Amino acid sequence: MRLNDAIFGIVLLIFAFAVIVYSQSFPATFGQSYGPDLFPVLIASGLAVCGLLLTLKGWAARRKTPWFESGDWAKDWHKLVTFALVPLALIFYILFSEFLGFLPTASLILFVLLRRFSVGPLAALGIACATSLVIHTIFARFLLVPLPWGLLQPIAW
Amino acid sequence: MDVLLTAIGLVFTPYVLLVMLGAALFGLFVGSIPGLTATMATALLIPITFFMDPVPAIAAIVTTVAMAIFAGDIPGCLLRIPGTPASAAYADEAHALTAKGQAERALGTSLVCAVIGGLLGTLVLATTAPLLAEFAIQFSSFEYFWLACLGLSCAVMISTGSVLKGAVSLLIGLFISTIGIDITAGHPRFTFGSVEMMGGISFIPAMIGMFAVSEVLRYVASSRQKPQVPQQSIGNVFRGLGPVLRRYKLNLVRGGAIGTAIGVLPGAGADIAAWVAYAVSKRFSREPEKFGSGHVEGLVDSGSANNAGLSGAWVPALVFGIPGDSITAIVIGVLYMKGMNPGPTVFLNQPELIYAVFVAFFLANLALLPLGFLAIRLARQVLRMPQRILMPIILMFCIVGAFAINNTVFGISIMLVLGLLAYIMEENGFPIAPTILGIVLGTMLEDNFMSSMIKADGDLLGFFSRPIALSLGIVTLSIWFLPPVIRALRKRSQRFSQ
Amino acid sequence: MLKRLIFGRVAGMLLGGFALLAAGAAQAEWPERPITLIVPWGAGGGTDATGRMIGSLLEKELGQPVNVVNRTGGSGVVGHSAIANAKPDGYTLGVITVEVGMMHWAGLTDLDHMSYTPIALYNADPAGLQVRADSPYQSAADVIDAIKANPGKFKGSGTGQGGIWHLALAGMLNDAGIDPAAVPWVPSKGAAPGLQELAAGGVEFVTCSVVEAAALIDAGKVRSLAVMGDARLGAFPDVPTLKESAGLDWKLAAWRGLAGPKGLPEEVTGKLVPAFEKVWNSAEFQKFMEGRGFGLVWKPEAEFATWMSESDAGLGSVMKAVGLAK
Repeated sequence: MRLNDAIFGIVLLIFAFAVIVYSQSFPATFGQSYGPDLFPVLIASGLAVCGLLLTLKGWAARRKTPWFESGDWAKDWHKLVTFALVPLALIFYILFSEFLGFLPTASLILFVLLRRFSVGPLAALGIACATSLVIHTIFARFLLVPLPWGLLQPIAW
Repeated sequence: MDVLLTAIGLVFTPYVLLVMLGAALFGLFVGSIPGLTATMATALLIPITFFMDPVPAIAAIVTTVAMAIFAGDIPGCLLRIPGTPASAAYADEAHALTAKGQAERALGTSLVCAVIGGLLGTLVLATTAPLLAEFAIQFSSFEYFWLACLGLSCAVMISTGSVLKGAVSLLIGLFISTIGIDITAGHPRFTFGSVEMMGGISFIPAMIGMFAVSEVLRYVASSRQKPQVPQQSIGNVFRGLGPVLRRYKLNLVRGGAIGTAIGVLPGAGADIAAWVAYAVSKRFSREPEKFGSGHVEGLVDSGSANNAGLSGAWVPALVFGIPGDSITAIVIGVLYMKGMNPGPTVFLNQPELIYAVFVAFFLANLALLPLGFLAIRLARQVLRMPQRILMPIILMFCIVGAFAINNTVFGISIMLVLGLLAYIMEENGFPIAPTILGIVLGTMLEDNFMSSMIKADGDLLGFFSRPIALSLGIVTLSIWFLPPVIRALRKRSQRFSQ
Repeated sequence: MLKRLIFGRVAGMLLGGFALLAAGAAQAEWPERPITLIVPWGAGGGTDATGRMIGSLLEKELGQPVNVVNRTGGSGVVGHSAIANAKPDGYTLGVITVEVGMMHWAGLTDLDHMSYTPIALYNADPAGLQVRADSPYQSAADVIDAIKANPGKFKGSGTGQGGIWHLALAGMLNDAGIDPAAVPWVPSKGAAPGLQELAAGGVEFVTCSVVEAAALIDAGKVRSLAVMGDARLGAFPDVPTLKESAGLDWKLAAWRGLAGPKGLPEEVTGKLVPAFEKVWNSAEFQKFMEGRGFGLVWKPEAEFATWMSESDAGLGSVMKAVGLAK
């Protein structure tokens, strides 16, 4: 997914502007002359300058570089779904791991991803369950990371 | 001499050696998993060390940490996913070597340099700790501010491609570091009412996201299966290292010196040491154009620097009870618990214990050689696994690693957002290394700038008011402004001569 | 085929899970599974060290693993929220610290001491007044006079803006009838960097606890002029109280206590308090606390609650007086 530099420039300009405006709401500090808004404003100003330069550069090169170039994979439905699946898997984990527990969530995510990457169903199932169990044992048992048990709480070991 | 012999006697007992072996395996394991850091490994050891004598307790920590910092190089090299923050600086470079089929060469170099750097750092620690500590304690916020500026200059040196895009990347990193409660005013910034955001964006999930998640995304998006690079097996990872080390012996010593110096300064540790060493290496290299494309020179410098930084951090910790990094912050607690209260007196009252610590340092670094060798042999198998199986498993490890930093799914959210950001950035030619450096140095820069301004009552000349600050300031400003001035002068003289 | 497989698997898991969940609810004598102990500060700090010690000793006492978990950031808000918002089933406990009585005044959160079930207070460390070894001041009275004579000239440090040690300084000045803004605060990430600034000559005073300055005091880099408590400390008999040194009544201590989320059932506290008391009295714990120089205090349940509400009111009035409350 390649975008023309001007698009980044404009996004950066908008972002920098928003940061500067929002930073004005930070309170001045007790007994001090420099507030918490100083650095964000300095950084945002830098971003704004860079954004402006990028916009100009992108505009100058608009003949040579298209505004948007999606790459082959985005035209391919199958690939697009696979690509979306990675962030979706993370979001699924964020939302449901506490309730379902680590083992079911992890096995499910692994299974789906493995299947999507065209690993055979039995192999995927085996790898998914085995990996989840191994990770759980290492992290929860030995490294004391409190991975959630969720639904499996009653049989927690 | 007697003290040294007693100390050696304290370390070379079957019990201590066994503890060290166990700690070594633990450290190698923790270090090689992204998200599990050397600091976390140390914290996990604390309850176990409660029940040990001082020497095995400290030896266990020293060994674990030395192993973990090297082991962080392994996934960085094989998968471009640094195992600990200290490996982030050169993960790209090491991975480029793997892509050329030279994983063993890269890891072998890392290993030997880690060992040599660690030994150099220990030597400095053992011989000049009280002296160095006196120097380190002279550093106030003015000096740290200049150090942070120097660190940021590294971003320019290490970034490849467009300078403008590198600057954008650095600014994004700096912006990310301002999220959360700022310590100057205690005001929550850009948190939008979220308690989790108040804690700020932790560096480790950010790093995992930017390296690992973006890597998985790239794998998915690449239109064809990435061809498995056949790794040239050089049989013995140490073979052929002789010429490399001879050629870069200066780099080895320089990396060790940089690592120790940065480690000694409280508040800057092995991770910053690796960045600086890498940048210095590129700056003074005879072949800077090779950096980034799989060139061992940078690995020599930074691999040596981060392990040297570990022992450096013990200097202020032992002498003044001021932690040199997050690991020694924990160590100080252990020292107190074991009755080895930090302070110059510990060198007079219990010299044999202190020397035993140094002996343990030497031994741990030497043990790194065979154990690291085994770890490399094992880890190589990872590359044999088909990527379609490897990638989901990596993602799962990343999830757990990002979770484990603060034991909340918020870490996974950070990882996801920054992973997507890094993917888009890299696709469009924005380097990600400056962003990561910005996150690392941003708070240091801002905190010390603010503190300095308060101390100097807003007078910018305050930044040049102390001797060390003055010299650091001059060095920094000349690095920034001399090259363009020289370039301009040269142009002019060329015009004159024409 | 594939869909059926997933469905079957998930359904089986869910069913199995619920069946066991139902079975689990019926039995139970606390604690029947591992306990999580949340520490709202980073690994390596004093709170973390005491938390880990308590965790490992409590584990022996209760016969279940106690996992210490650091939830850091946001001046303690993140971790304290995690403790308060946990399910009050006795399986999530936490170490709460003096900041509970500060962060709501600063407008960072709505949580206060009423959001917790107090188990027991186990530690309190009074603030001290530290100066560099070569400083001209020999007593707290000298310091007060110097500040009176030169408002705005000296700087103090030891923690972040509005942190506990900042209050120690501001409260002391307030008590002496000086505007707290007469000594601008240089924020630092905790006591150690603040002391580093002091030793490096960046600031004149650090008002962290005497214990935190112990190593530098031993090293002859720093002197402690006064301790802001009722009595002198056992480990530092030469350091007078602020009352003795400057005639001021100002006292402030950072404290740590064990607590759970609000509404812990009595069957939990009934077992937990005696177990923790045993831990507190154990030779290991006493030796550990003395070794680090941490002040030992024991105030169980109701006494702890009273302590917290007094601490909260006191901190609130000072924070308002010095302009740190929102």
